[in-house]
Amino acid sequence: MKDKNFDVEVHHVTRVEGHGNIYVNVKNGTIKKCEWAISEAPRFFEAMVVGRQWSELHHITSRICGICSIGHTLASLKATEAAMSITISEQDLKLRKLALHAENMQSHLLHLGFLVLPDLMGVGSVIPLASSNPEEVKTVLRLHRLANEMSDLLCGRTTHPQRLLPGGFSKIPSMRELTSLRERLKASVPDLEAVAGLFKSGAPKFPDLVRETEFIALTNPDEYALYDGKIASTDTGTVPVSEYLSFTNEYVVPHSTAKRAKHARESYMVGALARLNVNYDLLSPLAKKIAKMFELKPVCHNPFMNNIAQLVEVVHGVEDSINLINELEAAGLQSQPDYNVPEVKVKAGRGVSAVEVPRGILFHDYTYNEKGTCTKANCVIPTNQNHGNIELDMKALLPKILGKTEKEIELSLEMLVRAYDPCISCSTHYVKVHFV
Amino acid sequence: MKPKVAFFDFAGCEGDQLQVANLEEELLNLLGQVKVVSFREVMKEHSDNYDIAFIEGSCTRLQDEDRLKQIRKNAKIVVAIGSCATIGGINSLKNYKDLDEVRKTVYGENARLFDTYSARPIDAVIDVDAYVHGCPIDRDEFLQVVKSLLLGKKPDIPNYPVCVECKKNENVCAFERGQFCVGPVTRAGCNSCCVNEGTICWGCRGLVDNPNENSQKEVLIKYGLTVDDAIGKFRLYFGWQERKR
Amino acid sequence: MRIILKEDFAEFVNTLIKNNSLNVIGVKSKGDKFAFGHLESASELRLDYDVTLLPPKKYFFPQRETLVTYNVANGFSAKDPADIKPMVIIGVHPYDIVALLHMDEIFRETKSDPYYFEKRKASIIIGVNIQKMSKWCFAPYMGCAIIDYGYDLMLTDLGNRYAINIGHAKGEELLMKYAKNVTDALARDIQLVGQKKREIMSMAQQKFDFETELIPELLSKSYGESGFWEKHSEKCLACGSCVLVCPTCYCFDVKDNPDLSLEYGERIRTWDGCLLEDFAKIASGENFRPTRPTRYRHRYFKKGKYLFDRFGFISCVGCGRCSSNCLPDIANPVNLFNDMYHETRSMGVQVAPATEPEVDIQTEGNIDYVPKLATIVKKVPMTAKETFFEIKLDDGSDVDHKPGQFVEVSVFGIGEAPISVSSSPTKKGTFELCVRKVGNVTTKLHTLNAGDKVGVRGPFGNGFDAELLKGKDLLFVAGGLGIAPLRSLFNYVLDNREDYGRVILLYGCKEPRELLFGDELLALAKRDDVEFKPTVDWCPENEVWDGNIGVITTLIPQVNFDPETTYAIVCGPTIMYKFVIADLKSRNVPDNHIILSLERRMKCGVGKCGHCQINQIYVCKDGPVFNYSKIKGVPEAL
Repeated sequence: MKDKNFDVEVHHVTRVEGHGNIYVNVKNGTIKKCEWAISEAPRFFEAMVVGRQWSELHHITSRICGICSIGHTLASLKATEAAMSITISEQDLKLRKLALHAENMQSHLLHLGFLVLPDLMGVGSVIPLASSNPEEVKTVLRLHRLANEMSDLLCGRTTHPQRLLPGGFSKIPSMRELTSLRERLKASVPDLEAVAGLFKSGAPKFPDLVRETEFIALTNPDEYALYDGKIASTDTGTVPVSEYLSFTNEYVVPHSTAKRAKHARESYMVGALARLNVNYDLLSPLAKKIAKMFELKPVCHNPFMNNIAQLVEVVHGVEDSINLINELEAAGLQSQPDYNVPEVKVKAGRGVSAVEVPRGILFHDYTYNEKGTCTKANCVIPTNQNHGNIELDMKALLPKILGKTEKEIELSLEMLVRAYDPCISCSTHYVKVHFV
Repeated sequence: MKPKVAFFDFAGCEGDQLQVANLEEELLNLLGQVKVVSFREVMKEHSDNYDIAFIEGSCTRLQDEDRLKQIRKNAKIVVAIGSCATIGGINSLKNYKDLDEVRKTVYGENARLFDTYSARPIDAVIDVDAYVHGCPIDRDEFLQVVKSLLLGKKPDIPNYPVCVECKKNENVCAFERGQFCVGPVTRAGCNSCCVNEGTICWGCRGLVDNPNENSQKEVLIKYGLTVDDAIGKFRLYFGWQERKR
Repeated sequence: MRIILKEDFAEFVNTLIKNNSLNVIGVKSKGDKFAFGHLESASELRLDYDVTLLPPKKYFFPQRETLVTYNVANGFSAKDPADIKPMVIIGVHPYDIVALLHMDEIFRETKSDPYYFEKRKASIIIGVNIQKMSKWCFAPYMGCAIIDYGYDLMLTDLGNRYAINIGHAKGEELLMKYAKNVTDALARDIQLVGQKKREIMSMAQQKFDFETELIPELLSKSYGESGFWEKHSEKCLACGSCVLVCPTCYCFDVKDNPDLSLEYGERIRTWDGCLLEDFAKIASGENFRPTRPTRYRHRYFKKGKYLFDRFGFISCVGCGRCSSNCLPDIANPVNLFNDMYHETRSMGVQVAPATEPEVDIQTEGNIDYVPKLATIVKKVPMTAKETFFEIKLDDGSDVDHKPGQFVEVSVFGIGEAPISVSSSPTKKGTFELCVRKVGNVTTKLHTLNAGDKVGVRGPFGNGFDAELLKGKDLLFVAGGLGIAPLRSLFNYVLDNREDYGRVILLYGCKEPRELLFGDELLALAKRDDVEFKPTVDWCPENEVWDGNIGVITTLIPQVNFDPETTYAIVCGPTIMYKFVIADLKSRNVPDNHIILSLERRMKCGVGKCGHCQINQIYVCKDGPVFNYSKIKGVPEAL
């Protein structure tokens, strides 16, 4: 391949959230450059919340992301609650877990159906699929709508949810609404299986890349950890959430000037695959069945399987939600006043939280003074934590596919980025770099 | 001839474009009426030949201006969607801070590598033909604007405060519940959705054309907010609009 | 009077609820407040409430209501009212009942609103005497705290039981059918009820410093009071809260909502409020009540004077909702009227109760909200902004209008706009419009062509009195687009030429290329039984003009006429009237010889939605044609 000379430059990769660029330069068969560079405008959330009140922070940080709003809001609330020693009721905890499932389902289904599926079907977007494969598209839309309506029921709406407050909810669904949701979740199983079948037939298109890396996710002895847990690494073990900085170690990279993270190795991966690798045993029965269908089991080092891990999590989300609703029904739903405002005793303090959002582990870290004003904030976004891994994976994949056409190489690199489901505008730390 | 539409995003959270995806089955109906030629988040293809451009996100850097101007040249109609694009959105919170301080807070000594200026709505840079307000946009309002554009009519966006919708929805006023709301000066069209969910209006749709700001601030203080907090409330979303006044 | 124990009453309500053919509504708690809502069980009822967030009018005149549906292929049809479930509304306070009675009069004046009345007919009102009075309430002062009519049943709480007054046979039947253990009241019960009523009369915490029957006269002396309205409205947020929660407010807006396919859609009416900034704004951008003081003042005048003059009642029942909902606390009628009373007295002005107005409310059929389908027969662009349309109704009928009347023209999916008919009623088969492109409807109309369909409602308005003008000399003064409505009378006169004396037409435009009906006017100039004088404000270099140059008033001195026999008929932009009228007056034309056609924002066309109001006058009903003697005293008119 000594005569291989080409450049791949993908400006603003499509079908990912946010703006990122791929730069590859191959000369005489040697890879001279292989870079993943972020070009998103910085928004400086950590500075914006300084000086604002504890009652406002979740509203502001929700706006970090439109897709994982619920996740950011919950991470934000947990950090504030940790700072002020606020506990929430068992009932509210279950309702929050339902909310997180709804978000995970919505985001994964959007990613799988709109962003990944077109690659497997050989088209540029879901739009032509609406004419060529209407039933499949309608199935995905049906499931997506169910996830959205579940978010509406629990949080008010999917993007920038209103009902989530420090200490609880402004409004909660009625038991009748929850049981009706449960019926719809149960009825969605055939649709889930149809989507699994669709991906089974498309899965061979995923390159078989295996590059060993570290995986970091929340872990919890009682459940597949999404809302609560300790931080686990497949390399080193578990630490409490308060020690997150020792894991994330954010740093600025000159050529990309996007913050990255590293821990036990050069980079690590977070997200559905990481969670599955750490929490596999606690998956729900049907979810395990789907995982087995794709021979997905820990520890899997193929980043493309992140897509399948997401599919497995959707199924787990549906089953676990049904369980949560059963538990709420058994305990009897406590009503609360219309326009509820949970009581909060404001005090100075620092709180750190971790929540698994669709794309990986998210940390919020706030410090408040005695008036409840935020004096310092730090957010570590999942996608930040993946950037190093993405670039290293690109570097590992490229030699394997050098024999293909430039178009195919470009597509494979894009599919690699898409498999990570990056949420680039979530990251508050990105900048555009001009390459001459 | 179906009009060709394109979606673009600047500094924002992409939540408004998500609302378009969240149209679910209605999205299929929408695709029956328009031809999407560029929507980076959802499709690979791109074309510079479009009639209607939907733009999400604020302009926060000098280099964004060139991109905006190019879109304006290509499009017959430009629609700003979401608060970041229509009024500056939550991004405008940082306008009140010393921008150097802001960069240092986030990037430490590497601050010099990141450029930024006051976050602004896109109509600070280019002419905008229609607005879909809100953080995020309301799907029905988005469709209403699309239908209006298809029919050749100016979209019907309210110029009265959220109180109108809040009263129609028979909510208990936030002030009666010991909370503080900027609904009386915020543009309606959201059907008071946040108050319906049991909270308050935060002002995400921006000020009405002629708000009585002094009266609103007096009301906030009368009901118990400090002067600083009242001013702070206005800065959450009205940062750019306030500066202009 | 009957008696029912509270347990039996609860069972009565639960029995009603179990009956699937009834929609049982009652007062429930909402947060710390109360609201009327659907009852699942009698235990939800809170008859001890003070005031509900919204009045029960929401069940008869809902916040949002579809009036008409349309289909591009077939046209418009009324929304099918078929499935109105009968309602039983429990717990209505007397002031809210009085408010419904006010609304009944308003909605049946001249033409009746079918949507409102079909719901009214399908409902049973079970009132309850006030147990707790809100601190803002002043119903006793308005005579609305106790009533003995307007309800089907009225309850009074007597501790362990309710006393029930039967107001209407409907109420008695309901009781007999569903309630058990209803006994006759004893003397003691009757006495207790009387005592409760007396207590209610002294519960009000708000206090008027004068007799409220003085209100109409007090207002009529305070219209132009310098600084008064500015002072009181300074903090107004134009949020509309005061009018949206009011039980006697009925202004509404009408909007079209097409489906995404654009093939069909609906026309919806929704609550509107005169305090909102754009309430009186028209498509051209002109706002006839642009400032807070003028809008703020209008609400009080409408409630306390205009409706009183028209219907004989002050349209405020003292519920106090406006006061409690006003955040800057400027909406309390008690405070405002007390202040007005004291200021008026301190200026030495005497105020007496108004004489009872002569009220004669006639109902001539239902309001027709449904447009007829019509086809554009001819379309001729006349100027850059104006286009001429000739239209025929698809059912073959004529609009049958009087000159000066207007029609409401609908364009599918866009909306409806009021346009004066420009042709004379003597022209049969089709009618003509001259449309200026100014807003959504007119802009879209301009893109339509012969063969395209529109909707037409009407004719509306009073039109010119052609009989009155017979035998007189007629001086038409038209400014700009004002020629369009005048043309309908003008052509009518020409078609009946012998019935009229001199016919003079003065017509002014900004510049020559804005002249409308150019060819027709040229032909006019050749007639010897018509005197035609055109003028332009100025003539640009590239245009040709050999007529008068100057504003329209420069033409008036060029015409000799006898003020005794001459009637002036004037129509043009708002600014024109003042100057033309001044010139006519300086020529001794009597007030009642001057006839004007005014425009405002008109939506319903039948004097209900409130947008076209000029003080007490509905332009769509009492106008758009006005005799100057009748409106010279109307402050908002010119």
